[in-house]
Amino acid sequence: MELKYVQTTCPYCGTGCSFNLVVKDGKVVGTQPYTRSPVNEGKVCPKGTYAHEFVNSPDRLTKPLIKKDGKFVEATWDEAYDLIASKFKSYKPDEFAALASARVSNEENYLLMKFARGVMKSRHIDHCARLCHASTVAGLAASFGSGAMTNSILDIAESKCVFVIGSNTFEQHPLIGRKVMQAKLNGGKLIVFDPRLTPTAKQADLYASFYSGTDVAILNCLMGEIIRNGWEDKEWVSTRAKGYEELKKVVLSDTYLPENVEKISGIAAADLKTAAEWIGTSESSALLYSMGITQHTVGVDNVKSTANLQMLTGNIGKRGGGVNALRGQNNVQGACDMGALPVVFTGYQKVTDAAAHKKFADAWGFPDGICEPKNGYEVTVMMDVLTDNPGELKCMYIMGENPMLSDPDLNHVKHALESLEFLVVQDIFLTETAEMADVVLPAACYAERDGTQTSTERRVQMWRKAQNPPGEAKEDWQIISELAARMGYAKQFPYQNIEEIFTEVAAVTPSYHGMTYERLNRPEALHWPCPTTEHPGTPILHIGKCSHPDGMGVMHAIEWKPPAEVPDDEYPYLFTTGRCIWHWHTGSMTRRSATLDAEVPTGWIEINPEDAKALGIQNKEMVRVTSRRGTIDVATKVTPDIKKGVMFMPFHFAECAANILTHNALDPIAKIPEFKACAVKVEKITEA
Amino acid sequence: MVAKGDTFYAWAADAACQERGECGGAVTALLTHALSSGMVDAVLAVKKGQDIYDAVPTLITDPAEIAQTSGSLHCGTLLLSKLVKEFLDGAKDMRIAIPVKGCDAMGLYELAKRNQVNLDNILMIGLNCGGSVSPVLARKMIREKFGVDPDDVVKEEIDKGQFIIVTKDGQHKGISMDELEEEGFGRRGNCRRCKMKVPRQADLACGNWGVIGDKAGKATFVEVCSEKGANLLDAAVKAGSLKTDAANPKGIEIRGKVENAMLKLGDKWRKRYFEGLGEGKDRLKKIMNDTSRCIKCYACIENCPICYCVECSTKKSYLVEPGQVPPPFMFHLIRYAHISDSCINCGQCEEHCAMEIPNSLFMHALQVDLQEMFGHTPGVDMELPVLALVEEKTERKRLADTGSDQIFNIFE
Repeated sequence: MELKYVQTTCPYCGTGCSFNLVVKDGKVVGTQPYTRSPVNEGKVCPKGTYAHEFVNSPDRLTKPLIKKDGKFVEATWDEAYDLIASKFKSYKPDEFAALASARVSNEENYLLMKFARGVMKSRHIDHCARLCHASTVAGLAASFGSGAMTNSILDIAESKCVFVIGSNTFEQHPLIGRKVMQAKLNGGKLIVFDPRLTPTAKQADLYASFYSGTDVAILNCLMGEIIRNGWEDKEWVSTRAKGYEELKKVVLSDTYLPENVEKISGIAAADLKTAAEWIGTSESSALLYSMGITQHTVGVDNVKSTANLQMLTGNIGKRGGGVNALRGQNNVQGACDMGALPVVFTGYQKVTDAAAHKKFADAWGFPDGICEPKNGYEVTVMMDVLTDNPGELKCMYIMGENPMLSDPDLNHVKHALESLEFLVVQDIFLTETAEMADVVLPAACYAERDGTQTSTERRVQMWRKAQNPPGEAKEDWQIISELAARMGYAKQFPYQNIEEIFTEVAAVTPSYHGMTYERLNRPEALHWPCPTTEHPGTPILHIGKCSHPDGMGVMHAIEWKPPAEVPDDEYPYLFTTGRCIWHWHTGSMTRRSATLDAEVPTGWIEINPEDAKALGIQNKEMVRVTSRRGTIDVATKVTPDIKKGVMFMPFHFAECAANILTHNALDPIAKIPEFKACAVKVEKITEA
Repeated sequence: MVAKGDTFYAWAADAACQERGECGGAVTALLTHALSSGMVDAVLAVKKGQDIYDAVPTLITDPAEIAQTSGSLHCGTLLLSKLVKEFLDGAKDMRIAIPVKGCDAMGLYELAKRNQVNLDNILMIGLNCGGSVSPVLARKMIREKFGVDPDDVVKEEIDKGQFIIVTKDGQHKGISMDELEEEGFGRRGNCRRCKMKVPRQADLACGNWGVIGDKAGKATFVEVCSEKGANLLDAAVKAGSLKTDAANPKGIEIRGKVENAMLKLGDKWRKRYFEGLGEGKDRLKKIMNDTSRCIKCYACIENCPICYCVECSTKKSYLVEPGQVPPPFMFHLIRYAHISDSCINCGQCEEHCAMEIPNSLFMHALQVDLQEMFGHTPGVDMELPVLALVEEKTERKRLADTGSDQIFNIFE
């Protein structure tokens, strides 16, 4: 018998926890704590405890599949590659679009980016960061010159006041929730503002529920109170910030007086004042946010407002402070870092910048050049182009994403993907999206590969291979390299192992420049930016100066705007979406984990008891929910934990997909959809 | 002939083994002999992972690899017992030698009572243990209290009431454990309360306490605790891989004193921790308050050496509504009802709790009360536990579902 422990990092959220995979006679059979991890010290959430359960699921894809007469037929890799290569070659550069993946490694995102821009010469590459934190990347970059979480996870435990807005940290980043709890146990105050009384909110010293989409009004109100009471950090705003006077003018206007914001947000004026006092007078105050802030048509405004508050109180570049944007997926930070976005190469080097464009063209050495130095389409725009301008985009290559469940307005997504001439999907299971593909390529899962991923705190950590992929499945980097070779670019994709790809990434990416596998193999790993091989990495950003060329932080004066779609007589309820601790996004992994599935086997809609009474519906009753986009039937969860007039659904479940209802209204800058607010009606289902 | 109760100074015959191992490398030599002579099929031991703060369990079938497990790692907070059940089929078809701390040995006994491991196939080399330190806290302690970069430390040890580090440039630095622990550093809470310092329920109990004179630091004090242990020691000496001397009577006395001092310290910590919990309603309130931040990660259950049911009651929807975070208090009540009479205070439920809930403290406090009331001490022998009142029919079915179970005779 052979038994070994393989230390690796978790494939679920962006916290970056480590655990051991237990491998018995070559097969993953369990997980065990890895107490040496500085991030989670061996502790994990339920998804981590049972992260081995789906790995050897009988549903894993084991062979390439080619669709013939509407049915999938097993094929050899050669057949699949030949078909894909001949099809791909038949399209013009900008008829092709690629979706990279926040689930796979940095190396593989880099490689797909290189494939799209170098082999296909297309401008169009994006991934699901668009749906979660596109507004963070844009908003924080505008505020600080770097679009990432400013502080480290460990730092949160040292804060004297933690302000959580739009994050259900206990369920979505549970081991960051632990740090919030540690801050509280150390005597820090905890403020949680959320439309729902979440498990996070239940631990708060001050909790208030508010109407989804009123964040800017709330944040402006807090800033107004802080300035009126003289709690602002005068030195910070005078020496390190630009735009303070304009900001001051807006936040001090009558609109944002606590009594007025009470009407807009539903938070009592007294609670707004208390929160302002705690944030304004604590020695340090950390702000944590996630999708409650970002997933709005005003996502970028929301993000900039959180940055405003933290600059105003001098909590930037400081231990226990910071704007802690909690990134969702395990490697969404890394996928962005790798340039799997339509506007940048790796390390946020702009596609439109002639020098950057030349740098990548030269480094890659494609004899026939790379894509034009122009921005491409965001995933949300790709879907619109597919439906609204048929024939412009014709073919798509999707790696490890499931837009058929994750994107807003699923009927629209379906229509979009059906408009494609040729779709290739590379995944570990036959997802809802894969089912629509012409060719499906079987990939290795996290337990079957090496590589790096970058957590929300910019910590770049290793995945380590524990077992071989099932059947003929391959690691994504192998598939992309082999396909590139089949298209005639073997020379540009010469990799023998994944480390060679990382070496190339480090060479072309200033913030990763000092990283090597040897350095990353330490349990502490490294936080970017890490510009040289001697550099210790950067757990806290913006100490002393921000990342803008002039070193200044930029404050933005922002007026509150309501969501794109608000309740009216026909659709009287505000609808918001999210996740639960048991499942991951579209459920392809967690719904195949027996323990997690047993906890929560399907979806629900949360309804306040008063609304339920008015509608004449009971707890656990099936109801019909309708928005302007579509209709679903789902069981109710009648609970006082949600505000009257607001309804919530998790989006994991295909059989009652919340995203049938959601709105594809986009933030004008980040092109992130408004998952967190639209209008619905709810009806009792009466037998015909 | 060696017999149960005998005490020796022992050291490896092989010079390299002496060098690598702690205190003359006797344990390494014993394990090597057990494996190479065919007395066991495998050795389950702990080796150094990335650094001295990283302890990794490893299953060894090649005697040459045992050297990797030489030396001690006080920052390893592992419990090996449950791994035997979970991943080695309970040693049902395989004979395994395991170096065990007190908690490892106690866990194996409790699993054996429940027919989850086969003790006949397990050779326990007991290790005296004064406690362990969680790795991340240890690094913080070394940085903040010792003023040393934890990456520069090549060895740590707990000796004479001090936590001692040795840096790569050869410097020794020690700070009293009392001082460290007053400031929240030092050993884990359960280790502080532990009173299983010399695991005599193992086959041999080995350690450095009581090794004096010219053998100090060069030999291991071995107490023979079973016939199996006596046979191993005999065979290893006969084969020429282990050397022994009679233990110095003065050394035996000193060993007793050290053990007693450790037990007294354990009593002191128990008093302090248990009093901190309060009594009656106050205690209940504290437990309810602390468990209210539970995220139901199941780490307490998965890592508990007493939990073994195929059908866990916490997963029955009529007892605990599934999917809720935090789970209803019943989740924790079920654990107290099922575990507390047999809790061995290994600390795993607290060490791995994602939400800093002092689970081990709560359970241990209950266990100590139950022990006072019913006189049952878990983890020291094969005596069956005192179970709480149960519905016989349901309980029989539940236990039957687990396969076979020796606790059936509670109804006799």
